[in-house]
Amino acid sequence: MLKLAWKYMRYYKSQTVTIFVSILLTASLLSGISSLIYSSQKNDLVNSKTICGDWHYYIETEKDLYDFVESGEQAEGYHLEQCGKMEIRDVVAEEFLICFIHSDETYRKMTHRDLIEGTFPQKENEIAADGFVLNNLGFSGNIGDSLRIGEQEYIVTGVLKSEWAASSSEMEVFVSDSFVGRGSQTFLYLRFNENEKLYKQLNSFLQRHKISLDAVVVNDEVTQYLGGEAPQSIYEIVKFGLTNEEGNLTYIVLKLQSDYNLAYNGMLILLCLFSLFVVYSVFNISVSKRMSEYGILQTLGISEKQIGGTLLLELWILFLTGYPLGCFLGNGILSLIYDKFSGVFSGKGIAAENGLSVADQTLAEGTNAVQFFVSVDAMIFGFLFLLISLAVVALVVVRVIQKQSLKDVMSGDTSFTKRRKIYTLRNANMANVVVRKFMFANKKKVLGILLSLSIGGSIFLCTTYMVENLKVHTELSLMSDDGLGSEYRISLKSDSLEDTIPEKVVDKIKSMPETTDVYPTKYSMGELQLTKNEFLADENWKDYFKYQNQELYFIQRYNSICNQQEDETYRIKYDVYGYDEEMIKQLQEFILEGEIQSEELLKENKVIVTANMDGQGNYYFYGKKPGDTITLRVPKTENYTDELLKFQSSEENYIEKEFEIAAIVKRPLAQEKGFLNAEVWNNAQSIIMTNEQMADDFGIVNYSFINASSNKGMESERVSNQLLQIIRDVPKAVFQDYTYAIDTQKNYLKQQQIFFSSIAVILLIISLFHIMNSMNHTILARRREYGIIRAIGITDSGFYKMILQTGIWYGLLADLFIFLLYNLVLRRIMNYYMAHVLQFLHLTSNVPNMVLIAIMLLNVAIAILAVMFPARKMIKENIINEIRG
Amino acid sequence: MSILKLQNVEKIYGEKENQVKALRKIDLQVEEGEFVAVVGTSGSGKSTLLNLIGGLDNPTQGKIFIKNREVGSLSRKELTIFRRRNIGFVFQNYSLMPVLNVYDNVALPLTFDKGKHINRKYIEELLRELGIWEKRKKYPNELSGGQQQRVAIARALANKPAILLADEPTGNLDSATTVEVMGLLKASCKKYRQTIIMVTHNEAIAQTCDRVIHIEDGCIVTGNRRFPAKGGDGIC
Repeated sequence: MLKLAWKYMRYYKSQTVTIFVSILLTASLLSGISSLIYSSQKNDLVNSKTICGDWHYYIETEKDLYDFVESGEQAEGYHLEQCGKMEIRDVVAEEFLICFIHSDETYRKMTHRDLIEGTFPQKENEIAADGFVLNNLGFSGNIGDSLRIGEQEYIVTGVLKSEWAASSSEMEVFVSDSFVGRGSQTFLYLRFNENEKLYKQLNSFLQRHKISLDAVVVNDEVTQYLGGEAPQSIYEIVKFGLTNEEGNLTYIVLKLQSDYNLAYNGMLILLCLFSLFVVYSVFNISVSKRMSEYGILQTLGISEKQIGGTLLLELWILFLTGYPLGCFLGNGILSLIYDKFSGVFSGKGIAAENGLSVADQTLAEGTNAVQFFVSVDAMIFGFLFLLISLAVVALVVVRVIQKQSLKDVMSGDTSFTKRRKIYTLRNANMANVVVRKFMFANKKKVLGILLSLSIGGSIFLCTTYMVENLKVHTELSLMSDDGLGSEYRISLKSDSLEDTIPEKVVDKIKSMPETTDVYPTKYSMGELQLTKNEFLADENWKDYFKYQNQELYFIQRYNSICNQQEDETYRIKYDVYGYDEEMIKQLQEFILEGEIQSEELLKENKVIVTANMDGQGNYYFYGKKPGDTITLRVPKTENYTDELLKFQSSEENYIEKEFEIAAIVKRPLAQEKGFLNAEVWNNAQSIIMTNEQMADDFGIVNYSFINASSNKGMESERVSNQLLQIIRDVPKAVFQDYTYAIDTQKNYLKQQQIFFSSIAVILLIISLFHIMNSMNHTILARRREYGIIRAIGITDSGFYKMILQTGIWYGLLADLFIFLLYNLVLRRIMNYYMAHVLQFLHLTSNVPNMVLIAIMLLNVAIAILAVMFPARKMIKENIINEIRG
Repeated sequence: MSILKLQNVEKIYGEKENQVKALRKIDLQVEEGEFVAVVGTSGSGKSTLLNLIGGLDNPTQGKIFIKNREVGSLSRKELTIFRRRNIGFVFQNYSLMPVLNVYDNVALPLTFDKGKHINRKYIEELLRELGIWEKRKKYPNELSGGQQQRVAIARALANKPAILLADEPTGNLDSATTVEVMGLLKASCKKYRQTIIMVTHNEAIAQTCDRVIHIEDGCIVTGNRRFPAKGGDGIC
């Protein structure tokens, strides 16, 4: 059998090369992309550890346990590699909320609070903190100088690295062990062995130390990559998704993503299937060419099993050589260019879930160098999958041979629909008739060819569609999260509405020749009142605020987010923003319903509201439409205290107004980063009006934050210094420079576009390669018939015209197929995926017409080219040989 | 008047040590309306001769004249058109288009001549004479071997060619159908004053023709003839 397989491989050289190349290309694509996703996830993990800390869980414990547990603890079921200890000794709530922390070195390592300058505190009155904290506390001196916090004077002994995922209003100051505060809260930060399931180790740890699971806080951003929580079974997930009222496809996708790393495993399976499809298709063509030979072998007494064995050996020999080479090629190329495409999967343009804005996240990630990791798992999985699948392919081919009688196998395909129509009676162009008859003789076959013709084009269009929308989404996210994608942001490190940026500061910044696009925003917190019927307009949304309501931060500061009153009405805390005209205009991009005209807002006192969005990208605003009214309460500026934000004081402290809704939007543009956008919550529910309305309706004159950009050609550092000068006298004002972050994000986006388009092009090339092969076979399968036509008198040019027609037909039909497949099926799936799974903000970007036309033309061109090659080959052949076959 | 003339025709396949001389120095003349049988053993060169006459292959040496035109001097396109208009082929394996029905198979060569009117009456007459009019909407694989060969003959005659070349037209047929097909060919030859050159290895069938040419090892050899030759054969 081995000898026969080898002989076949040598005799059908071009077919052997075709199968080998298809295995090589698909293997390199499969292993390359898998490694890429794997690398990006590994790098994401590193980034997440940088931002959120290199720990898995923390537990607030009793002092005894705090002292007892040590790094390296090992018991049945777990290995606690590191245990960081942190104790809050005191808290001062003055200008800022300041925590006095004593910690061990492990904790500082875990949270990346390395010492940049100086030493750690040794004495009771010594402190160390990061630059951001020290600056905002007004410390401008040198190490060894004193700083007043509350009633006490402290000596600053060291400067630490800033933490990235800092709480919006808390500041940490490190103290020595000899520091005695007013209390003690002890926390253990746990880091288990990452090679084992974390949730299992945690359970064993908790059992051993008799700790309740409720006391555990998970570092989600880190553990999501390491199996931090017990996964639900796939059966249960699918069952819930399909049978439960709350479940749907999105639930299944998102749950599979969180529990089973769908992005990686799903892509791996898809690539395996694509590889199998291409290899099967190429191999099938190769086998169909020698079907009659297998028939002859059977007549000579060779069993079907032996034929199957020969086929399998042939496939496996090619696979065993092509696959490793392909993996080497794919990983090799990607490892060389990976650092140039580091932003493809990182730079969380899609969803930042750690409370950091896109820009902050970018700044944090910028500190880590990207590395390329080879996904050995994926290579092994792909190898085993294809090895077994190829055995199935051989089996399928044998079954096809089995189904056909020996005579059929030796004489080829005669099954086609026989229409009793005489074409020559109607002066029909017989060349056309013959072409059509050849093409559609076997509908199943033609459908298969068209499907394979359109698969590459469809993938390319889908990728382009996704990239186009990703581009818009990233731009909009940046606008929404960081205020119009502005380079500079001036805000207040405060959670009190008392702190504001005076109007004159805004005017100063606006008048600076170095700045442009200065967007000042007013902010207040409000409470929306809804009747029970309004709030429960859709029962599915009744628990929308459930988790926010459970958040201690919201309970303590704002008496929860959504409260049902005794009279059964609901009161919900809302961010209330005042935008200027230009910003209002830019909200157009985010509209779900209604119209936005800033003059009308002002004239008719209308507002814009943001819809609530669930985890699956569905939007809801209590069943209200533009034109409906809402009642909003905002604390008065006179006699303001932070207590008013609980909205429990007497009515006289609040201004209540009724507004008509002008439009419902997906997100606000520029957002306050404290207040309701705190902890893990972002894009909080908001009501937007003009700055004038804020002043007229609620008496709010000053601003809460400002976004600005530098004029072209201006030196960034100079602009930064000038802005810092201007805000120097504004209490609690902080300045953030996002120039680097914006550039990096733009670069990431460019990388993503280039990368995804390149992958699509590679898929297209593999597909085109496959098309050429299929078409070549389709034409050559009819060489006897074409020989007859030539013998009975068709000229060479007439013959070429016939073949050309075939190519054009295939090309146009494939175009039609792609068009229908893309528009009726794939685009809808993509829309659903982008809206509900990726939760893109904007889905209106289409594939550019030029790309669409180019794909259509390319298809026709490739189909023509693919048929012309065999046609030339046939023309060169002797007619008699062609007829004899 | 001779319609076909071969002068010193040679056909060699392969090169150097693999060379095979399929035909050697053939001189042959065929008169208009003659029904010639070419007989020989397998591999003797008879089919090669037929293919050279039909312009499906080119001689290595020598000249072939059909209706006084030298075939070798024609361009590929001219040759194709010349063949279409003057030569009809009947192959042993029928060589019908499996995707076309009987009528369309027969009319197909006519459609290659742009602007040429398809004489439907003539095709009907042909099909009726060949006894396949009732089968005109059937597809080749729905017909018996004899019926398929009749279709092939009808297709070869559809253009009213001056020469009909038949390569073992009865090779796949039973004896009764063989007699029928031979009768049809003869009738056609007579009716349309066509020249027929038929390759066969069946001596008995050959003997029913006007002239029998024996080929052995690529040469025309003399032998017993029942009928006097109208033209002249070059003898090896």
